[in-house]
Amino acid sequence: MGDCPLQVKELEKSFKKKLGLSSFRAVDSISFQLYPGEILGFLGPNGAGKTTTIKCVLGLLKPSAGKVSLWGSHPAAPEVRRRIGYVPENPDYDDLFTPLEFMTMFSSMRRLDMSREQMFVILDRVGLSKWENVRIRSFSKGMKQRVSLALALQSKPELLIMDEPTGGLDPVARKEFRDIILEENQRGVSIFLSSHLLSEVETICDRAVILSEGKKVVEGRLEDLMRTEDHYRITYRVSDEQEELEIHAALLQKTIDDLRVKGYGIISVNPLYRSLEEVFLSATSGVGR
Amino acid sequence: MKPVITFALMTLRNLLRRRTIWGICIVILIALFGIGQIPSYGVSNEGRFILDFGLFGLEIGALLLAIGLASNIYPRDREQKTVMPIIAVPLSRGQYLMGRFIGAAIVEAAAMIVGCIGLMVILLMNGHAVPADMFPATLLLLIEGWFLLAVVFFFSFWTSPPLNAPLTVLLFIVSQLSVSGFIKLFPQAPGLMRALRLLLPHMDVFHIKDPIAHGMNIPGLYFLLAIFYGLAYMAFMLSVALVVFRSRDLK
Amino acid sequence: MRLAAVILITAVLLLLACKADYDIEEVTPPEHTGTDHHDEHDECEHEHPEHVESSHEHETEAAEPASVHEESHEHDVLEMSGSHRHVHAAGEKNHGTGWFFNQPWAASFIWGKMLRDALILLVLSAVILFLSKYRRKRQ
Repeated sequence: MGDCPLQVKELEKSFKKKLGLSSFRAVDSISFQLYPGEILGFLGPNGAGKTTTIKCVLGLLKPSAGKVSLWGSHPAAPEVRRRIGYVPENPDYDDLFTPLEFMTMFSSMRRLDMSREQMFVILDRVGLSKWENVRIRSFSKGMKQRVSLALALQSKPELLIMDEPTGGLDPVARKEFRDIILEENQRGVSIFLSSHLLSEVETICDRAVILSEGKKVVEGRLEDLMRTEDHYRITYRVSDEQEELEIHAALLQKTIDDLRVKGYGIISVNPLYRSLEEVFLSATSGVGR
Repeated sequence: MKPVITFALMTLRNLLRRRTIWGICIVILIALFGIGQIPSYGVSNEGRFILDFGLFGLEIGALLLAIGLASNIYPRDREQKTVMPIIAVPLSRGQYLMGRFIGAAIVEAAAMIVGCIGLMVILLMNGHAVPADMFPATLLLLIEGWFLLAVVFFFSFWTSPPLNAPLTVLLFIVSQLSVSGFIKLFPQAPGLMRALRLLLPHMDVFHIKDPIAHGMNIPGLYFLLAIFYGLAYMAFMLSVALVVFRSRDLK
Repeated sequence: MRLAAVILITAVLLLLACKADYDIEEVTPPEHTGTDHHDEHDECEHEHPEHVESSHEHETEAAEPASVHEESHEHDVLEMSGSHRHVHAAGEKNHGTGWFFNQPWAASFIWGKMLRDALILLVLSAVILFLSKYRRKRQ
């Protein structure tokens, strides 16, 4: 599995409560993987364990059990860290510095030989070209998100790990972020995206993993997750006009036969799709520990 | 090494942009200036007095600076979550610790140089010669300050800043005591106290202000040994601090 | 748990290594309470040369601060610049000045111990770092 950018196997993370007498299991034996070049949505309600999982993936938290590997190596390995970009949730950088200073220092820390022009290009791409020399102290949450995206893109990463990247953004900025994510993905970058915005995940992700109360409840391709097995839509022709009929799977064959007997031409029979929100709600309700 | 140097410079800039450091430096200079004024109120041997108290002031300044510089760096990084994007991608925990330490150590060195020059000026203004041993004595105080800085970093990985300062001051005080002096603190358990004291550093190694003030010559070999001892203890404290830091979860 | 073990081993090693410590009063070899002390006197400022003789008479008692204290109190109180202060022959171990020479800079016989401890600390640092890295690699 050396080619797999991210593999999580039986991951568990528990935190000790006060005095260390009892513990709270934030992540409970979850397994999934991210394939090269795909965008994996990582969903779950608040407190489901998404950020904890991401921190384990980045080596910020030590797993209580299980294994996380990036291209088959330990997350803390330097050769692995050079290949990833990270956009944190609610980024907070040292507010006495400017975006350009951060770009300069991070490029030096990552041993990237970047010219100022190259840094300007990235800052321009994330919409910070007019703010490059302004201290982050005066930035809004959305602008700080832009700084963290610029820093993540700086090293031309092969894997982008994004934890609620568009949380504090307005709709226009959200669209810009989405476009950048898709552009990066077209460049071949694998993307691990944690988000609350289901419409966003629905638009850009190939697959999704849904967590609830620390457990994985759903994993699969979005198309498969949203397709219902029990309802179908029949499109047929009635004297030059097109009509549709939604029908339960049990009645499907009988309905098709009836329509044919009546002389209506069947154009298509497709499974009905639910919204991701419906998938999410049905997956996350009723999961108890 | 390049990432560490870059991060150290980033730390240096950060510390210089925070005004508290300038405040501490100004307090040190005012204290030195005050020491220069006291002899005119009738104490004899004023050169000795200025030198003795001036070096003492620098030592206390080194302690205060170490606490002021380092006790809040990691807790603030953790609180504001600025440590996450740094540790997550460009730097390892060891590089983070070294970068932060080197940045703070540079500020401490600069402050000690300023203090030493201030003391020199006060001595000259009062018509006294500047003993050549004053410079290596300041260097030893700086090594002591760096050691204290390592101690503060060590404490900062498992205590809060309000607890860090008294712990460091306590270590600073008890490390000056002899074994017999330390046992006197709790004479009921002399064996335990002896064992505890032997684990603590011997900060009296850095104390040469008195002989210098009295015009005595300190052998060059002693300076080298004291510097080596201080740097070795500093390396030890940083290693233990790193082990503690590596075992910590960054929630 | 392993961290605790490392700290414990470190503590034990330090304890073993530092049996002979820096408490100069405890570890001063007999020869250093005699002639060497005399040499130190010669380097000191001689504020009151007339006291040197009396201090030499008490050289062998230098390691016993209590008896020296009594002597000094009898002889050495002078009035200067409107303030009371002790003035002793330079380097005399006495009330208020014994500590002056009980410092590492004045006790060359412990310099070897400083070097030894510094080397032990460096070796310990290397061992701690190695163990920490090894542990992480195993994970």
